[in-house]
Amino acid sequence: MRLVIARCTVDYDGRLSAHLPEATRLLMVKADGCIAIHADGGAYKPLNWMTAPNTLTEEDDCWVVRNPRGETLTITIHEVISDTDHELGEDPGLQKDGVEAHLQELLAADPTFMADDLRLVRREYPTAIGPVDLLCRDADGIAVAIEVKRRGEIDGVEQLTRYLDFLNRDPMLKPVRGMFVAQEVKPQARVLADDRDITWLEVDYDDLRGIESNELKLF
Amino acid sequence: MKFRCERDVLDRAFSVAARAISNRGSAPPVMSGLHLHLVGDNLAVVGSDLDLTIRVDSEVGGQEDGVAVLPAKLAADVVRSLDSGQVTVTIDDDGARVVAGRSDFNLRTMAADEFPKFEQPDGEAVTLDAESVSAALEQVVKAASGDDSRPILTGVLLAAEDDGLRFVATDSYRLAVRDLPGTSILGRDQTVLVPSRALEVTGRLLGDAEDLTIRLAEREASFEVADVTIVTRLIEGEFPNYRGLIPSGHPNSLVVDRVALIDAVRRVGLLARDATPVRLAMSADGLELIAITQDVGQAHETLDCTYEGNDLTVAFNPGYLLDGLEVSPGDEVRLETIDALKPAVIRSVGEEGFLYLLMPVRVS
Repeated sequence: MRLVIARCTVDYDGRLSAHLPEATRLLMVKADGCIAIHADGGAYKPLNWMTAPNTLTEEDDCWVVRNPRGETLTITIHEVISDTDHELGEDPGLQKDGVEAHLQELLAADPTFMADDLRLVRREYPTAIGPVDLLCRDADGIAVAIEVKRRGEIDGVEQLTRYLDFLNRDPMLKPVRGMFVAQEVKPQARVLADDRDITWLEVDYDDLRGIESNELKLF
Repeated sequence: MKFRCERDVLDRAFSVAARAISNRGSAPPVMSGLHLHLVGDNLAVVGSDLDLTIRVDSEVGGQEDGVAVLPAKLAADVVRSLDSGQVTVTIDDDGARVVAGRSDFNLRTMAADEFPKFEQPDGEAVTLDAESVSAALEQVVKAASGDDSRPILTGVLLAAEDDGLRFVATDSYRLAVRDLPGTSILGRDQTVLVPSRALEVTGRLLGDAEDLTIRLAEREASFEVADVTIVTRLIEGEFPNYRGLIPSGHPNSLVVDRVALIDAVRRVGLLARDATPVRLAMSADGLELIAITQDVGQAHETLDCTYEGNDLTVAFNPGYLLDGLEVSPGDEVRLETIDALKPAVIRSVGEEGFLYLLMPVRVS
């Protein structure tokens, strides 16, 4: 990762023309070839950038970055304030917070949190299109396929619908009903779930973990 | 359809009827519109989200009867933007033309036949004094929940009591109960659960009105205030047993000036950031309000009061506490407590019709 802080002007020529007047900026040249020009603001978003693959040609006071589509980024350097290079090594990738997996684990440990009469058959119950999070049975022995999400949106209901379609083809299981469980189920997802006779349920992560809330309730 | 009227008449009709439109993703597109029905000189403007429907009847200079649906937000914005004075609206197959002074707008219309027919519930009409109902709604509606995942709590319970009508609402953190003695719209022991949204709209319209007419049917209710009719679906289900939540006795009782306490909670509440509560430290020496937010600061204020009971510190959500204090009538309030974790009751001194039950917040 090369980090250059420089007073520069930047001109982009491609689908349109854009010009950044002279100012002090951070020029970021990543090992994968991506180049980004940042101001000291604008959150994570660069003022201009060019993704790899591209070719960087460096002259004394001018960098020219070209990509195969014929777009050009010309960075005219007026003054270099800092120019450093760092070897970052391989990145381990984004670690998600693990709430979704933990929710599934907690609900598997105590399915009665979702309904009094539920007992767990199996976590990650396999179907031809991937495993459904939980398969339970209710007091009447009816199979209940449960999809667990942190945020319950329409995509999750669609996913559960596809699982139910496959599970209901199994004569040993059918009829299988669906339950969509999330910390928060979005209004559109509720409507879609209701429309498809899928039960939806919001669960409190802290309650599941046995963390006592400071919020006392009347009931 | 063609009619003329004052800009203010149309502006009010559009803005009031549009309050029913909720832009829910599941509603058909035509429900984002306002339905206009002109018969003679009566223009009926209806907005609806299928659960809540608001109809506004206005007298206009009708020239040609007709029915149309206009995009609600755009039509309301256009009318609101016009200068005061006469507006002429002409609607035909090509769309709606709104002309006022030198302004001339053409709006696309929506399919009027797809808009649901407005139907008034067929229950018996009962007329109540608007002022007393308005006060009751103001006291109670705020305590209803806004969380649609618990639909029962989004409603206000109307219950027949021996001596009148009772309004009850709760979001599980607080509970508001208001009695209207001598008012009767329900049969013996009958209750109905009315969406708080419908009552909030009704309450706003009651300001200058004299009467409120209520009709209750099996699944719907209507509220008529002058030229506005609000029809709402009733919520089905059993309201929590709120009577069991109200403690029968309290060992601790604090009497304090209501406005002074409101002002103090507001001031001290400035330092109750990030959902931290305001603590009320009560003793025979007086009342101290305390708010402490880590890395922000702290606030203390003392108030004169009359206190009977054990020294006790109870913490409350300042917003919920203010909601109860602001709608309590009278100059003084009584705060009755058992301990730091049990519900507290706020009542007005010398006024028996209103009760506000509030859960404390647990603090270390």
